[in-house]
Amino acid sequence: MANNDALRASLRIAGSGLEAQSARLRIISENIANAQSTASVAGGDPYTRQTITFEDALDSASGAELVKIREIGLDSSPFRVEQDPGNPAADDGGFVKLPNVDVLVELADLREANRSYEANLQVAKQSSDLMNQTVALLKDV
Amino acid sequence: MSEVYLYQLSTQRVGYLSTRQTLIAQNVANVNTPGYQAVDLKPFAATLQETAMAMATTSPLHLTPTADEIDPPKPEDSEGAETTVSGNSVDLEGELVKLGEVNRDFSEANAIKKIFHQMMMQALK
Repeated sequence: MANNDALRASLRIAGSGLEAQSARLRIISENIANAQSTASVAGGDPYTRQTITFEDALDSASGAELVKIREIGLDSSPFRVEQDPGNPAADDGGFVKLPNVDVLVELADLREANRSYEANLQVAKQSSDLMNQTVALLKDV
Repeated sequence: MSEVYLYQLSTQRVGYLSTRQTLIAQNVANVNTPGYQAVDLKPFAATLQETAMAMATTSPLHLTPTADEIDPPKPEDSEGAETTVSGNSVDLEGELVKLGEVNRDFSEANAIKKIFHQMMMQALK
């Protein structure tokens, strides 16, 4: 790892963290927005909750480990079923399948994503601050 | 009078701190990565002790490698971190504390460099 590039590499890593966490926020907001989305056809499957997982990826240019999205998958847990014969998505028996989204779980996840995003932002701020400090050595010579 | 290595020392310290900053960034970015193990550097004093040994030179024309070339800072798994169910051992609060340490030490090294430079300029004027 070249030392003169270390601060730049740390900026890039923090950037990859921000990117990953904002993708996570997007998935969470999609889940919350679609917490009540039923199927468009009678008896069909409703919106399925999306999940996101991360992995570390070696950046060969800087030798640092960035973070990237491994997979945006679908939650395989069962749908909620309610008796609501008047619903357009109800099947012949009057049962409606509702999405497997638990808004409480999503909100907890939202808080965690928020915290991780802030931590990455702080690292990025400090990296650029340290670079500025080094440049400031050239002042008042 | 022996040679003054203050410039070299503070430059090495800044290099060490930059690398540490990179590792902190790496840990924070991977705070939600399953199976990721947190990394950190050995303390600067320990690294300096190990690399202080100089090679014997039989001719003044021989090039002596810098401390960095002998033993570049290597990341070590950081201690005391709790591992979560997903196998991730990053302690976010601990990383932010380290971030503060790096900031302080970096300012210190730069301030020393600046003061030393001023002393030299005073002697020259």
